[in-house]
Amino acid sequence: MRIKRVLILAPLLLLAVLLQSYLWVPTYDRQARGNRARLRMYVDASIGDAQILNPVLSADSASSTINGQVFDTLLDFDENLELRGRLATEWEVREVAYLLVNPEKRFPDGSPVTGPALVERLRSALAAGNLPALEGVLTGVTLLPPESRSTSIALPATDAEGAPTSTEVAVEIDVPERVELRLSRVDQDLFERLAPVIGDAYAAGFPHERFVRVADAAQRPALQARLPELLPVEEHNPVIRFRLRPGVRFHDGHAFSAEDVAFTYRAIMDPKSLSPRTSDFEPIQAVEVLDPQNLRVVYKRLFSPAVYAWAYMGILPKHRLDAAAMRAEMDAKNLSEAARARFGLRDMPFNRAPVGTGPFRFVEWQTDELIHLRRFDDYWEGPPEYADYYFRIVPDLLTQEVEFRTGAIDAYGTLPYQVARYRDDPRYQSFSSLGFGYSYIGYNQRKPLFADPRVRRALGMAIDVDEIIQYILYGEGERVTGPYPKNTDWYDPDVEPLPYDPEGALRLLEEAGWRRNADGLLEKDGRIFEFNLITNNGNPIRRNILTIAQNAWRKIGIRCNTQLFEWAVFLTDFVNTGDFDALVLGWSMGLDPDLYQIFHSSQTAPQKLNFAGYASAEADELITRIRREYDRDEQVALTRALHRRVAQDQPYTFLFAQRSTQVLDEKIVIVRRDADGSERYEKIEPVKGGRIAFHFNRWRKLEHAPRF
Amino acid sequence: MSAAPGHVVAEPAGGPLRASESPLQQAWRMLRRDRLAMAGLAVLALLAVAAGAGKVLTEWYVVFDPAAVRLPEKLRAPLSVADAERVAPEDLPALGIYLLGTDELGRDVFARMLQGSFVSLSIGFVAVGISVAIGILIGGLSGYYGNVKLGFITVDTLLMRFTDVMLSFPTFFLILTVVALLPPSIYNIMIVIGVTSWMGTARLVRGEFLSLREQDFVVAAQALGLPERRIIFRHMVPNAIAPVLVSATIGVASAILTESALSFLGFGVQPPDATWGNILADGRSFIFDAPWLFFVPGAAILVVVLAFNLLGEGLREALNPKLRSR
Amino acid sequence: MWTFVIRSVLQRLVLLVVISILAHSVVHLAPGEPSQVDPSNPRLKPEDIARIREAFRLDEPIHLQYAYWIHDLFTGELKSFRDDQPVLPKIWRRFLNSLPLFVCATLIVWTLAFPTGIAAAVRRGRAFDRGSTFLAYAMISTPGFFLAYVLILWVVDTFNVPVIGMRTFGMDAGSPVNYWMDRLWHLVIPSAISALGGIAVLSRYVRSQMLEVVGQDYVRTARAKGVAEDAVIYRHALRNALLPFVTMFGFLIPGLIGGSVIFETIFAWPGLGRLGYDAILGRDFPVILTLNFIAAVLTLAGTLVSDVLYAVVDPRIRYD
Repeated sequence: MRIKRVLILAPLLLLAVLLQSYLWVPTYDRQARGNRARLRMYVDASIGDAQILNPVLSADSASSTINGQVFDTLLDFDENLELRGRLATEWEVREVAYLLVNPEKRFPDGSPVTGPALVERLRSALAAGNLPALEGVLTGVTLLPPESRSTSIALPATDAEGAPTSTEVAVEIDVPERVELRLSRVDQDLFERLAPVIGDAYAAGFPHERFVRVADAAQRPALQARLPELLPVEEHNPVIRFRLRPGVRFHDGHAFSAEDVAFTYRAIMDPKSLSPRTSDFEPIQAVEVLDPQNLRVVYKRLFSPAVYAWAYMGILPKHRLDAAAMRAEMDAKNLSEAARARFGLRDMPFNRAPVGTGPFRFVEWQTDELIHLRRFDDYWEGPPEYADYYFRIVPDLLTQEVEFRTGAIDAYGTLPYQVARYRDDPRYQSFSSLGFGYSYIGYNQRKPLFADPRVRRALGMAIDVDEIIQYILYGEGERVTGPYPKNTDWYDPDVEPLPYDPEGALRLLEEAGWRRNADGLLEKDGRIFEFNLITNNGNPIRRNILTIAQNAWRKIGIRCNTQLFEWAVFLTDFVNTGDFDALVLGWSMGLDPDLYQIFHSSQTAPQKLNFAGYASAEADELITRIRREYDRDEQVALTRALHRRVAQDQPYTFLFAQRSTQVLDEKIVIVRRDADGSERYEKIEPVKGGRIAFHFNRWRKLEHAPRF
Repeated sequence: MSAAPGHVVAEPAGGPLRASESPLQQAWRMLRRDRLAMAGLAVLALLAVAAGAGKVLTEWYVVFDPAAVRLPEKLRAPLSVADAERVAPEDLPALGIYLLGTDELGRDVFARMLQGSFVSLSIGFVAVGISVAIGILIGGLSGYYGNVKLGFITVDTLLMRFTDVMLSFPTFFLILTVVALLPPSIYNIMIVIGVTSWMGTARLVRGEFLSLREQDFVVAAQALGLPERRIIFRHMVPNAIAPVLVSATIGVASAILTESALSFLGFGVQPPDATWGNILADGRSFIFDAPWLFFVPGAAILVVVLAFNLLGEGLREALNPKLRSR
Repeated sequence: MWTFVIRSVLQRLVLLVVISILAHSVVHLAPGEPSQVDPSNPRLKPEDIARIREAFRLDEPIHLQYAYWIHDLFTGELKSFRDDQPVLPKIWRRFLNSLPLFVCATLIVWTLAFPTGIAAAVRRGRAFDRGSTFLAYAMISTPGFFLAYVLILWVVDTFNVPVIGMRTFGMDAGSPVNYWMDRLWHLVIPSAISALGGIAVLSRYVRSQMLEVVGQDYVRTARAKGVAEDAVIYRHALRNALLPFVTMFGFLIPGLIGGSVIFETIFAWPGLGRLGYDAILGRDFPVILTLNFIAAVLTLAGTLVSDVLYAVVDPRIRYD
């Protein structure tokens, strides 16, 4: 029977064809050991793909990883987390300040203030040593003539349907005579220090309305309160001067210059770019190119974290993305007029095939499969040891581990319970390091239940955090007591963690009026102590914290209900609206000391990050001073004070900072080349902040595990 | 549309049929001869006992406490003896041993599996109950009142097109979308699985009704002027129920599987409720470090779902008179 | 016949509109925001969020958003929220990745299910029948990811070859034969896993169809005439038993777009399932809606094809 034979042979044939392919596939041994080319490849894996390979537009960690290899920043952080130069070789922070001549004001001796008199008195006070704090700092005092400028300001309004919106109002400003003060460093207390000359409250009573004209008279009243903002009497303009590294080239051979830095700034601020990084660069007033190797960045106001923004921002090549390049792209795509009007940086093919100055150049991107980079031989710091860099997307952690163990992936980030297994395995080297994040239980302080700091402290004392670290994190974590990353100087190491003391917690709660009722539950004014503790799903550690906290609070008579929500729902329905009792979350912090968005009382509205509703006048004052302080030692003193304040108020129960453990094949080492060209091998060690890939460009895989 | 091949209710087939037997008794006799199906039935009987016991012993009279967290005793292997020194006396497991080991919080896996058996089973049954109810309603309306016109369109066309609409969304996708958007309570998962899986039943019932409508006894009942409700519920539904029963049995199996698939993606029933699906999904990351957390629930799901499927298959054979005893 | 086809097509077009409106409302009215306007990103200011919302037209009334979506979809200007890539080419590339998996799995299902089902029917009640029944049900009773993990661990431990992903890394030097065989190997396990359920269901169906047909009079007549058993089974019975399977080709079509999220995640396969799943998680509305739309088109086309095929192969069915 032919049909019968076909029916039986067809599957056999199919299976034979499919299974024979096995014979062609290299075994892991052949790939990893017998193949020398493999030693020059670094294969990394991630559970998620990059979104967009343009440092101006990306916000996700996978994109940052790739962008970090393809692009260079002006600055970055050295072994000790201090800023160091990359594309910039030198940078200086200075200040230019302006003081309006206030015609309504008199000097302390009673004579009226005029421009020439003000300059004269400032100069002589400085020469006579009456301004000791500014000696050697204030380097120039000049009188500037009056000038006019036009600008616009956004005023709140309501639209046709009554919804709040804003309107732009054009204003003309006749800037009066003013004094320009040049300083060799930034001083946020400059104008207070000038008090011996100009007296206290110099700015008070300045007749702003005389100098600001608005075309639409109806807007005048609304504008009144904003006048000092339009024409500040005392103005700080910090200035950063960068000297750029000579001889740097982009991957396509084009020379890098100051124009590229200025272009990158303009690309971020271009509204069409929809850049997620605008808030970092918004304080900039102007980026001025002095010559191809030098530029000046002038800031509108005191904002010390601003310089850190340059350590995260890769520099784009202007010649690939400027208006001419965009026009060429639009012509090539033959776009309609409407589409041309909407066309912006986000629509450029560059974002999927980037060109930078970094150690690796882009080769290929297969969405959700891999990104392939190759060594850039003309890299200014010398080419990396690895010839190729592969970034594989393996969304499942278990198969990622399988691939790692077979050698198809070179690095693996372990989960806490796997750490011991890899640490003891001689085939791998593992690095355990504290990251910049921490986990916490946040209480909604708008709710009366959590308004009392004693209650928040008691809740924290009922939880045995050390037990969580020991058993949930398998020891891979450290207690934290406050809002800063533990391995930065901002963190105050002298703050004592809350003790684990359920009895003490009960005493505190009793002080706050909570007594145990007949059922053993805490009760106050006829209401029992009950609330919901929520977190997002998909994070086993947070889920376990939920269970443990629930269990711990049950023991002191608090009824806590737990719920998990999908991330997007969790954010929109609970976190952003502030509609929750308590939640388990984590922050991953930057290296700058600014906590304005997370803890300032002005940031408690819906959609803002102080969703816990923490409000403390003392903390607000510290947060603002930290942002305006440019001196590092001063900043450290301020942040530690803030840390103590927050730890006192316990808006969160600060739990722990998790150690993250990276595992690498033992054969990967740092290669050092001596002058005669011979190679030395060094063991990889993490630098401060737990960054193991600090010397990544010197990494290579050897054929045999080295001995040190 | 396609006419289903005529399904005959009581066609006398060859073979020794005892005159005194009702169709139900015949079916039972057929089923008893099917050893796979009987094995399935036995497993399910055991499961029912386990689920009942689970409800009673983990919630009402807590003998096995699935929620007790014993951090020092985490990841103990099955059958290991509890260490009385490290665990508070009230947290010691029954019998002093962890029958199926402990998980990463030191909770007793046996107690969690026991609790989960009730939850998993109720998810299966409630979801299928919902889906069968909708299926019978839509399929029945469409099959019985198929020719009634509503304006320019017949009831049958309307309902069947609606069924097509539902079928047009890839089912698992639909479930994911809805589950991602609803709060993840156990009831929502039951409802979502039920509401997205009735289309097969509806088509089945419609086909049965279409052919039953032409049968003599229905035509006779209509001629006698019996009320429609009576015709539908007393005469037609019982005759159409056999294939529905088969598909419901298999539906329970697939609902349990769907729940475990959702758990894999993190959208299943959320803690503190334990289901076999979420125990399995959580256990997968421990496959090298604590394999029992993965293999125990995996094997349990396999056995139970298999039992449902085999029973369903047995029922299909036993209830299909055309295939009987040849 | 033609009026039937035309009427069916028109009906389905109306349906498509209904489906697209339904899907659009569900997706937009549900909680959650596109991840680009995720306010938990400390770098985003309310003004930035407002600008992004405006660019995504999220503040327009919902019917206008629907109109924009349809307009952009058909002019090809629809862009993903996630990476600003045009949606249709994006889906097409993923489709090309999913296609080999689908083809390979379908081939395995259809070639294996028929001989198994027929053999089981012929040996009804005997060891082979019961064995294959048991095996078939065991296959569909295992949670897919459980089986996939067990299989991956087994293959990796025993054969020491890569199975994850679409190809082996770092073997660029190989010949084209090597390259394609490597690609083929990476297909084998994921497609076998996703075929298991299909084999089970289809072989059971073949078996019951065969049993149904074998009981018919004409088969008994053929037997009585002394036709050889093989000829009875494969010529007389099989041909008739095959009828309903013709219509199943129609139902294959929607399978093209229904890539499995779970297997694609486990095997790191960049297919359509993961695209859709990520789109749901990130609330990438254009991608979710377009995928849904294409799925609906394909399903409706599938039912149309199967209806027509049924009419063609079964002369008893008449359409007015």
